Amino acid sequence: MQPFALNYARPAVELEAAIPYVYDAGQQLNVLHDGRVAASDFALLREVGTTTSTAGSKTHFDD
Amino acid sequence: MTVLILTCEEDVTADMVVVHLNATGIPVVRVDPADLTGGVALSGEYVHGRFRGHLSAGGRLVSIGGLRSVWVRRPGTPAGRAAQPSAWLTEEAAQALYGMLRGSDARWMNHPDAARRARHKPWQLRLAQRCGLPVPATLITTFPRAAREFSERYPDLVVKPVSGAHPQDPPRAVPTSRVAPDTDFSAVAFGPTLFQRRISKRADIRLTVVGDRMLAARKAAAADADPDEVDVRFAAPGAPWRPTDVPSCIAPGVRAYLREAELAYGAFDFVEDADGTWWFLECNQSGQFGFVEVETGQPIARTIAEWLARPVPAEPSHVNGANRTAC
Repeated sequence: MQPFALNYARPAVELEAAIPYVYDAGQQLNVLHDGRVAASDFALLREVGTTTSTAGSKTHFDD
Repeated sequence: MTVLILTCEEDVTADMVVVHLNATGIPVVRVDPADLTGGVALSGEYVHGRFRGHLSAGGRLVSIGGLRSVWVRRPGTPAGRAAQPSAWLTEEAAQALYGMLRGSDARWMNHPDAARRARHKPWQLRLAQRCGLPVPATLITTFPRAAREFSERYPDLVVKPVSGAHPQDPPRAVPTSRVAPDTDFSAVAFGPTLFQRRISKRADIRLTVVGDRMLAARKAAAADADPDEVDVRFAAPGAPWRPTDVPSCIAPGVRAYLREAELAYGAFDFVEDADGTWWFLECNQSGQFGFVEVETGQPIARTIAEWLARPVPAEPSHVNGANRTAC
């Protein structure tokens, strides 16, 4: 009774890299442990994969 | 006047825009509706024919009448993190928050009504056809026989979710997948299924449109790529995304699409075939753009910030800046 499309489902893959930043409510930005703004570090964003088109799929499907 | 961003804390892509707004001195208030009624509070009164409303988050207080724009990015479920969450409280919080915001004169990226409609893939496909964009032959059906007949007409098919959503119980991903020619289609009866003719692609295209500005990126497919690797989101990394031009035959259709959809932002997915034709797959009204900017250096975040920072139009508008007749 499984819908056809689910025959092609695979286990969801969690992001492997630990997220090295935390949200700073004062700045309204995520910051690294050394205080730098995470969004300004493109090399880091590429590494952690949090801006990719599958990153938000768990709760949002507008990827 | 202030830009209101509705998104979750971990949305580092939204941060990319906040950085630009901060640099230009535009006031920003960032709110996750999930934090109603913890870290986020609201109040609005309708007295003597006037409305006065306020939102508070992270120690910031903003007047709803003082909003220049609202960016609906990745908002959490209203009151989702309340001390005692419930479906009833979520509905109450959603009605209060979005109901008040709908009454403001702020410009929306994107308005909730337009966003809700634009999420429907079948609607997207029809709108793309009407706008003259090439759409691969597609069938959405619960009839196994219709699926079989479609596969006889188009032997090289892919299947993908109608909604684009991924099942969460347990968490699974449903990538766009190639359907083998001898497939048993009987399970089509158990759920609407979207089949599409597979386009033998030379590249994937992500076209991010902000207002009237188009920023296109192209990811070339390897000549020896596995034809079963259809979905670029789940394929091996391969070639990087690179900026590209939008073909003159595509740009008018894209503009028409966004105008008809009443969207201020759209992330279009196309595939480019061997002839260079861009085939429309979908338009995500809140599609991710961070990974494109990170790889291509295209100024998407800055363009969004500039759109959000524009002043409120003189005449009240309610759907993404489009003028509406007052009653």
